Amino acid sequence: MADACKYITLVSSDGYEFVVLRDAALVSPTIKGMLRSQFTEAQTGRCTFPEFSGVVLEKVAEYFHYWHRNRDREDVPDMEIPVELCLVLVQAADYFNLDARPSLRDPA
Amino acid sequence: MAEEPEEPTLPRLPLSVPFSDTRKRLRSMEAPPPSTSSDPAVFSSDDDPALDNYQAHGRRKRRYVGTWFDQQPASSDSALGDETGPNYPPPRRNRATPKPKKREFRRQLDSGVWMGTDGAMTDTDDSVDLEPPTARLSLLPPHDPAPLPLSPARPRFPDEEQAAINMIRRCVDNGIEDVDLSGLRLHCLSRGILEPLSHIAPIPNVTKDVAFEQKDAEIKVFLSTNLLRTFPLDLLNVEHLTVLSLRHNRLTRIPPGIGKLKNLQTLNVAQNSLRFFPSELLALLRKGGKLSSFQFQPNPFWTPVAVPPDNRGAEDYETRTFNPGPTPAVASRWIGLTTRLQARTPVELTDSAHTSYTRFVLPQTTNPAFAARRAPPLELEPFRQLATPRGLHHVLADAASKVAQPRGAKSLFELAVRACVRSGQADWIAAELRRDGEVGEGEGCWSAHLAEAVDRAADIQRQGGLECAVCGRETSMPLARWVEFRQVGQLDVLVGPEGVEDSRFMGLGGVSEGAVPFMMVGCSWRCVPVAADGVDGGGSG
Ligand SMILES: [Zn+2]
Repeated sequence: MADACKYITLVSSDGYEFVVLRDAALVSPTIKGMLRSQFTEAQTGRCTFPEFSGVVLEKVAEYFHYWHRNRDREDVPDMEIPVELCLVLVQAADYFNLDARPSLRDPA
Repeated sequence: MAEEPEEPTLPRLPLSVPFSDTRKRLRSMEAPPPSTSSDPAVFSSDDDPALDNYQAHGRRKRRYVGTWFDQQPASSDSALGDETGPNYPPPRRNRATPKPKKREFRRQLDSGVWMGTDGAMTDTDDSVDLEPPTARLSLLPPHDPAPLPLSPARPRFPDEEQAAINMIRRCVDNGIEDVDLSGLRLHCLSRGILEPLSHIAPIPNVTKDVAFEQKDAEIKVFLSTNLLRTFPLDLLNVEHLTVLSLRHNRLTRIPPGIGKLKNLQTLNVAQNSLRFFPSELLALLRKGGKLSSFQFQPNPFWTPVAVPPDNRGAEDYETRTFNPGPTPAVASRWIGLTTRLQARTPVELTDSAHTSYTRFVLPQTTNPAFAARRAPPLELEPFRQLATPRGLHHVLADAASKVAQPRGAKSLFELAVRACVRSGQADWIAAELRRDGEVGEGEGCWSAHLAEAVDRAADIQRQGGLECAVCGRETSMPLARWVEFRQVGQLDVLVGPEGVEDSRFMGLGGVSEGAVPFMMVGCSWRCVPVAADGVDGGGSG
């Protein structure tokens, strides 16, 4: 990570932008991959997700900070997920690899 | 890390973002609305012969909901009464408020059932465009537990269940604590039927000149010699259940929630199809517990391989793995049932998609077809060893991975799946995910593992929830499983003159002699057995 910029920007399909802590967003191996490589995202710090609308991406961004804030805590209360978002967030969590699956490749 | 970076505030989305946007598919597919919808048909005023509808200056067409013979104007203009609609019956309104909310629970006059109505279909709605069917989720009425089936007005239960319902009502009405539902040929007990058992209160014996004493109920439920395949989960909420017999049924599993029944004194689950017990049952088989009679044989339990390995260090393994607190002190003497650990299997490690990462794999437990097969004897692992497969150590070193880190926030996947289960519509959501998977081009069951995760979490919730055996955290996605073989027996604790406890353990005799399997569940790859002292465990510190 050449630029030490602390924040990155997530852009939704409908053009909403969410500025999140880079450290928090890196919990997602998907984003980690986008930022690590020679892709343009690595330089600009902007990741566009045409798969997700602003409502969904907002919740994902909220999760990044929720995760970061609580990473060393015990008894963390569940983040609130409205019922109309729960289905699409299952898919979003899968897309962002925010589940409990080990990456069996060597960590870089 | 001295300075915590400031979290930027997220831009607020306008509240008007429609729900339809939230379900933007990852694939460009839009399924047609299900034809089985019970919503009334919607049609526009084109169908109406009253052509004077059209001459209004640029006003919208009217929408009608329901059958043509039960027409009622559905668009706002006439609903607000600003026009004199031709010959239509006045719109049905519950309230006279001029600006009601867009979505409301409205009574369907014909069915007598309260339903949340779609915004586009209320008679007070301004919008004309129908929302796409994908928005249905938020509009379904909250899932209620099945309505109490005791009403005689709905005889939709088979005779056997009706007989049970009648018996239960008799017991509740008369304060009878012995509920005999045995031999009724019950195949299942619909949710809610046993619920009234909690309300049984014994009629107190009021004698003259004796102070009235409130006594806890001692409810005894006999369900023996039926055909039950699943444990009636309503029983888990009967706090004062003291005797439970499910002898001679077809049960394959005892739910983890059984551990909540702290007042249970007698439990009979003999002659079923059980393969193992949940570890939660051990909470009732502890020093100081009330369970004093426990029948569990015969059952086709999993068995360990014939020759046990070196099994020294059992106690050390238990202490290091579970960190049990001090056992409760005994006043003078205590006799009751406990267990003694004899052996354990290796650990099976899975991920949230239930893929196995270990050579050792436990036999199928959920799929009835597989579970019916007789499993071969289970492999054992010495207490002083611990086989974390090589190559997985770096996974445990990854602090961000939920596989390795039980602390902190749950994964978004688990949170979302839990929200699905909480919504009460897990089945519908799993079906949606499967449908997405089928339509997805090429990759086949792209979403199948997502649907399965929802199914499994819903199953765990139905069984009364699941806690990690090691750290006690609640989990909807166990990632580690192993089996302990324990002998059930009677512990006799006698407190000597200096307060020193002298205890003797005697295994049950006869058919119950052997060790029975208890399923242990860990919420992460760190919540696994710890090797007993003496030998290198291989687990990374
Ligand atoms: Zn745990």
